[in-house]
Amino acid sequence: MPLSLNYLVKRLLWSVAVLVGVVVFSYVVIILSPGDPAVKWAGNPRGPGAAKAVEEARRELGLDLPLHLQVLNFLKMVLTGDLGYSIAYRQPVFAVLTRNLAATLELLFAAYLIGVPLGSLLGVAAAMRRGGSVDGLLQTLGLALASTPTFWLGMAVFAVLFSAGFPAYGRVSTGLALATGFQAITGFYLLDALLQLNAPVFFDALARLLPPALAVAAYPTGLCLRLSRALVADALLEEYVRAAVAWGVKRRVVVWKYAFRAALPGLVQVAGTAFAYSLIDAMVVEYVFGREGLGRLLFDAIAFSDFKLAVGLLVLVAAFYLAVNTLADVAQALIDPRVRL
Amino acid sequence: MVLAVEAKELSVGYEESDELLWAVREVSFEVREGEAFCIVGESGSGKSTVASAIAGILPPHGVTDGELRVGGRVVVRGNERDYEGVRGRLVTYVPQSPGASLNPYLEIGDQFYYVLSSLYGLSRREAVEKARAYLRMAGLEPDAVLDRYPHELSGGMQQRAAIALALSTGARILVADEPTSSLDAHLRLQIVELLKRLRAEAGLTLIFITHDMLLAGALSERVAVMYAGRLVELGPTREVLRKPLHPYTSMLIESVPVLGVKRPLKAYTGEPPSPGEPSGGCPFYERCPFRLEVCASENPPAKEVGESRRVACWLF
Amino acid sequence: MSALRGRFNSAAGFLDLARRAWRRSTRFRVGSLLVAAMVAMAVLGPYVAPYPSDGWGLVPRNAAERAGKPPCLEFPFGTDNLGRDVLSRVLVGARLALLQIALVVSVSLALGLFVGVCAAYYRGPVEALLNYAAEVFLALPAMVIALALRLALGQGFHVVVTSLILSWWPWYARSSYVYARAVVEMEYVLLARLAGVPDRTVLLRHVVVNVLPPVLVQAITDLGSVLLEASAINFLGLGLPPDAPDWGIVVQNGFKYIVSMPWVSMFPGAFILATALGFSLVGDSLREEMDPKMRRRWKLWF
Repeated sequence: MPLSLNYLVKRLLWSVAVLVGVVVFSYVVIILSPGDPAVKWAGNPRGPGAAKAVEEARRELGLDLPLHLQVLNFLKMVLTGDLGYSIAYRQPVFAVLTRNLAATLELLFAAYLIGVPLGSLLGVAAAMRRGGSVDGLLQTLGLALASTPTFWLGMAVFAVLFSAGFPAYGRVSTGLALATGFQAITGFYLLDALLQLNAPVFFDALARLLPPALAVAAYPTGLCLRLSRALVADALLEEYVRAAVAWGVKRRVVVWKYAFRAALPGLVQVAGTAFAYSLIDAMVVEYVFGREGLGRLLFDAIAFSDFKLAVGLLVLVAAFYLAVNTLADVAQALIDPRVRL
Repeated sequence: MVLAVEAKELSVGYEESDELLWAVREVSFEVREGEAFCIVGESGSGKSTVASAIAGILPPHGVTDGELRVGGRVVVRGNERDYEGVRGRLVTYVPQSPGASLNPYLEIGDQFYYVLSSLYGLSRREAVEKARAYLRMAGLEPDAVLDRYPHELSGGMQQRAAIALALSTGARILVADEPTSSLDAHLRLQIVELLKRLRAEAGLTLIFITHDMLLAGALSERVAVMYAGRLVELGPTREVLRKPLHPYTSMLIESVPVLGVKRPLKAYTGEPPSPGEPSGGCPFYERCPFRLEVCASENPPAKEVGESRRVACWLF
Repeated sequence: MSALRGRFNSAAGFLDLARRAWRRSTRFRVGSLLVAAMVAMAVLGPYVAPYPSDGWGLVPRNAAERAGKPPCLEFPFGTDNLGRDVLSRVLVGARLALLQIALVVSVSLALGLFVGVCAAYYRGPVEALLNYAAEVFLALPAMVIALALRLALGQGFHVVVTSLILSWWPWYARSSYVYARAVVEMEYVLLARLAGVPDRTVLLRHVVVNVLPPVLVQAITDLGSVLLEASAINFLGLGLPPDAPDWGIVVQNGFKYIVSMPWVSMFPGAFILATALGFSLVGDSLREEMDPKMRRRWKLWF
């Protein structure tokens, strides 16, 4: 195994350290912004009971303690997953987050399953014709895909489908789900439908998943196109490609087993980082398509001034980034025989 | 007499950002079947470019002129190149730096598999079976190599593996481009001995590129000397070494120590002209101790001297 | 170090690079025309807009009769549900778009450059601390920072710009750090330090001068990415207020009417795309021009 326990432990500690930084940052935002931190933490309550809610928030934040203890107290709250009750949902923040995470991940996975292979293939095609007009067109296409505002693309896809008589709204038809007795188990509806052998729901969920997934896929497609083009074109100039050609290895094999193979670790690395950032794109597109997910939480956090939910999202997104990047590094070590971690 | 390689007025250049630099100019030579042929020259003389042209691996920004035949097939005519059915079948190649020339992402066994399946459609098992024989021939223990990645092998083992891969193609013409330059001294001799033995055993045509006159003497039957992209002298190695005709060849010979012969080593000053420089005259003009007036303005054509020798110098 | 090759060290050098790119690359020409059009719009927008007050987001008096008009001669991009001329909104919006991205990229670049160069030059605990800070903010996308700032500070320009700066500076810190490490270890820098040249002089004259060019080219590309993020933040209502003359906001204005009045969202979005693409094309072809290896002609040769 090219992986050592030592590396994983180090990586985990580092991730925790970065998360601590993220939590401290969010605390700084709460206490340094104008206004009473306790009022903000309580979600600007109004009416009777407001005073009590603010007092409660003050106690939760430990605002009477010295600053460093406040921060420690806050850290403990966040990192033990006990952020208290979301004002918007009247449920524990972490329960709300975990419930909505699967929907967003489902969308993200679908988008990357489309975008990464498609982009990589086009990139190889461009690399094989480097400098030619096809290459120029493909590269411009890659840049255009990566320069498309995702929310706008999502709206365009939605409008076109709606005009064509297919409103790709939400995650699944409620009527259909009720009629067929569909239960959400994992939160990944496609998987749930498969587990329950519920074909109608499966295809309905798939049909509603693909359009937003296409919108989210624009960025990874463009990115992978440009990256695989650059990496494959570089690899095609390597000595070992020359040698393989001289030994009579077929073009197809040289392109895929030699040049593309050499591009893989870099692709995995960059696609990994992009995957973490595309979480945001997925959230925005969810909003456009009216899907329940993290994107919905973002909106409710604003609508209800739900600071707890916002901090929860902040930490979740950062944790996702760290986890995905660790996984990308591990994956890279597994596919590049020269890397040992 | 069957010719393994025949170059007629072969020129090779590279397109570098807007300009075209000729690395090899109007080179003509023949290599006979079964012969050991050396091309000697300093770095920048164009010798590696000639090797690439023969092996069919000129880079994509390469430009050619003249004609080149390999194994009777025309592979270069003008700026047209066609190595289909030549690479790996008629001609094979031992690379300069084995570390960079083996695919770092594939086990050695897989690299044999891809070569042999491309050429002969062998399955993985058949390919590995064949690979064992070639690895043994190259002096490697197959089991210690086949399921290793290149970076897990030492430099000497990498070069032996590369030679085994080159041989496994079954091509009868072997182009070796300074295969020893990246190795330690003691390994160098081993590799040279190995190539010599393999050539004798398999009856290969060996085209060996080197900057080392001594090595050329030890290995080859005929030698071509290149300078600044031009072929300046060609002939049987023994005769060339004993009585060089071109002043540059003399310089090369006099600047290497010969075991058992006591004589002062001469160091010649100056540098070869860079490939971009336009020169009407002999490229060696600046450094030549015997230069004539004509040398400055006109490039000397190749001249037959005796039965088997050729030299491009106005002195003859 | 390949990225340091073909570098430019002065404004004249940069112009020279741009001139070569103009001559050689169609993509550079297209990109710079798009960027030029964008800048022209930012400068002239409010003056050439047919209905400037619509452009600033004010609802016209005759809103009822103008509302929801599809593109026609009078309103080339149509009107929104409040009767505002979309073309005017787009034209006036260019200025705010340019202002946001220029501010974000220049401040992030300055901050990142400072941090990266200091980390590479002073090493030790400074390096560790700065790298840690960069990593923390790398883990935070602009959108979630904007969410926190939106709740803490309310809507506004400062929320978009601050959240984007906070999430973008680490990229410049990281790349400046990598380039600066290479420069700091070069002999002449070591010699200058040994000779007692003050740190500030060494940093400015040797390190920054060498680090800046590749980072600047990167920044051109990033202008487009920042525009995309800023628009998304404004679209979601995390940044600018609902009627601000910003392209993301205009897209949001048409969100509810995407089926009945698609033009309200589609036109401003297309301008976001065109502008982002323009910056990417310019940055990308400049980078290609800086690396001689990437310029070579190519055909599959085997």
